[in-house]
Amino acid sequence: MSVAAGGGEAKLDKKKLMIYGIGGGIVGIYLAGILNMAMDTNYFSFLAGLGVIAVIVMGSEAVRMVCAYGIGTGVPSIGMMATGMGLVAAMFGLSIGGIAGPIIGLVVAVAFGYFIGAMANKIIKMNIPVMEESLTMLAAAGAITLIGLSVLVAGRIDYELIMGSVIDTGYIAVLFIAGSLAILHPFNANLGPDETQDRTLVHTISTGALAMIAGGIASIAIIGSAGILTILIAAVVWLWAFRWYFQLVKRDSAGVVGTGLLPKGEM
Amino acid sequence: MDMVSMGLLAAMGALATVAGASEDIESDAGSQSNPNSQVQLAAQVGHPHRIYNKAISGEPPSNALYAAVAAVTASVLMSGFGMSAFFAIAIGAVVAAIFNGIYATTAYMGRNTSQARFNQYVYLDVLRTHTTTIMAHAYITVFCVVSISYIMTASWLPIQHPFPMPLVAFIWGLAIGAIGSSTGDIHYGAEREFQSYPFGAGLNAANSGDIVTKAEAGLRSSIDNAWFCAKFGGPITGMAFGLTVFLDNWRATIFDPATQGGLVVLTGIVIVILFNIYNRIMESRARKRYGPYPEYIGDIEA
Repeated sequence: MSVAAGGGEAKLDKKKLMIYGIGGGIVGIYLAGILNMAMDTNYFSFLAGLGVIAVIVMGSEAVRMVCAYGIGTGVPSIGMMATGMGLVAAMFGLSIGGIAGPIIGLVVAVAFGYFIGAMANKIIKMNIPVMEESLTMLAAAGAITLIGLSVLVAGRIDYELIMGSVIDTGYIAVLFIAGSLAILHPFNANLGPDETQDRTLVHTISTGALAMIAGGIASIAIIGSAGILTILIAAVVWLWAFRWYFQLVKRDSAGVVGTGLLPKGEM
Repeated sequence: MDMVSMGLLAAMGALATVAGASEDIESDAGSQSNPNSQVQLAAQVGHPHRIYNKAISGEPPSNALYAAVAAVTASVLMSGFGMSAFFAIAIGAVVAAIFNGIYATTAYMGRNTSQARFNQYVYLDVLRTHTTTIMAHAYITVFCVVSISYIMTASWLPIQHPFPMPLVAFIWGLAIGAIGSSTGDIHYGAEREFQSYPFGAGLNAANSGDIVTKAEAGLRSSIDNAWFCAKFGGPITGMAFGLTVFLDNWRATIFDPATQGGLVVLTGIVIVILFNIYNRIMESRARKRYGPYPEYIGDIEA
C-alpha cells in the first residue's frame, strides 16, 4: 500500500462491512417502505436514512481500498463515479422492479460496477488488483444510497412517486451530491500516511448523517413533519459520530493543542 | 429586450461577480483544491505549519453541495411554508454554511492527524478563527448563486428556465467551483505559497511542499492568505464568473432562444473566438515583458 495516500491496516474485515452495509441498507429501505405503507404514515422514513448510513460506510471502505493505491487527487472522482454508476442502476431498478426495485437496482449496480472495474484493468490497463472489487462495492453503495435517500424523501418505494417528488422537483441534485460527498469525503479528509481505518469509518458515519439531514430537509416539502423527525434523528447520529471522531483525532494525532507555535526543532 | 430582462441580467452579473470573489477567498482561506496538495506536502518535507487544510474535495463538487443544500432548503421553505424568496434563500445559505463549516472542520482535523509522524499538530485556535471566516465567505457565495438560480427559474420572472431551482443551483455551483479553481487558485498557489522563489519561476518538483510558513511577523496563517488573495485572485475570479453568467445570459436575452436559436449559438461562438484572441495577445505581451527568465544565478534572499 502506498504510504503517501494512507490506507493503514484494516481492523474491520471488508466482507463484514459489505454484509453490514448492503444488508443494513436494503433492510432499512424495506422497513421504511413497508412500515410506512402498512401504518399509512411517513414517520418510518428515517429508517431508510439509517440504512443509507450503513451502506455509505461500506462505500467509504471501498474508496479507501482503491485510493490507497496512490490516486490521491482521484478520491473525489472515485466518489462521484460511485453515485454516477449508482444513479443509473437505481433509477433503472425502480422503474422496472416495483417493490423489488431496490434489489434489482442493486443487482444492476453490482454488474455495472464489475464491468467498469474490469474495463479499467483489462482495457485501460490500470492493473490495480482491487479495482473490480472496489468498483463493484462502490456502485452498490451509490445505488443503495440514492434509492435509500429517495425513499427517505418520498416515503414509499414507488417509482411514480419518487419521479414526482425527487426528480421533477430537482431534489435529486442534493441527494446525488450529498451522497457522493458522504462516500468520498471521509477518506479524502483523513488522507495521509497515518490514516487509520476506524477513524475514517467513524467519520463516514457523521458524513452519512449529514446526507440524511440533507435528505430530511428535502423531505419536509413532501412528507411534512415526518421529515423533521428524520432531521432530528440524523442530528443525534451526527453529534454522536462527531464526538467519537474527535476522540479518535485526539488518539491518533501528534497533538491536539489549543494554540501554539510549531513543534520544537522545526524550520 | 425589455427593461425587466435587462435589469435581471445586470443583477445576475453583479451577483455572480460577488459570488466568484467570495468563492475564491473561501477556498484560499482553507487552502482547498489545487494549492492544497502543497499544504499537504509541506509537513511531509519538514515544514509543519499553521495553515488551514480544507480538503473537502475539488471546488466544483463542494460548491455544488452548498448550492444544492441551500437551494433545496429555500425551495422547501418557499413551497411548503410560503416564505418570501429573500428570507428563504438567506436561511438556505445559513444551512449551507453550516454544512461547509462541518466539512471544513473534519477535513482540517483529519488531514493533520494523518500526518502525526511529521509532527503536524491540530491547532484548535486555527479551527476557531478560520472556520468562521470560511463559513462567512461560503454564505455570501451560496446566497448569490441561489439568487441567480431563483431569478432564472421563478415563475413570475421572464427567464423561466425549464429546470427546477435546486438543479439549476447545483449546475451553477459546479460552474463557480470550476471557475474558482481554475482562475483564482493560481494567484494563491503559485504566487503566495511560493513567494520565496523568483516571480514566474514555475514549480520545480524538487521544491514541492517548500511553501512559505512564516509571515512578516510570526507564523503565516490562512487569513493572511485570504488577505493577499482578496487583492487580485478573488476579484479576477469574480470577473471571470460574472462575465460567464452575464455574457451567457446576454446572448439569450438580446435574441429569443425559441425563434432565433441559431443567432444565440453564433453569438456564443463569436464571444469565444474574441476571448481566445484577447487571451493570446495578453499571454504573448506578458511573456515579452517578464520572460524569458535569466540563467540560474543562485537563490534570491526571501
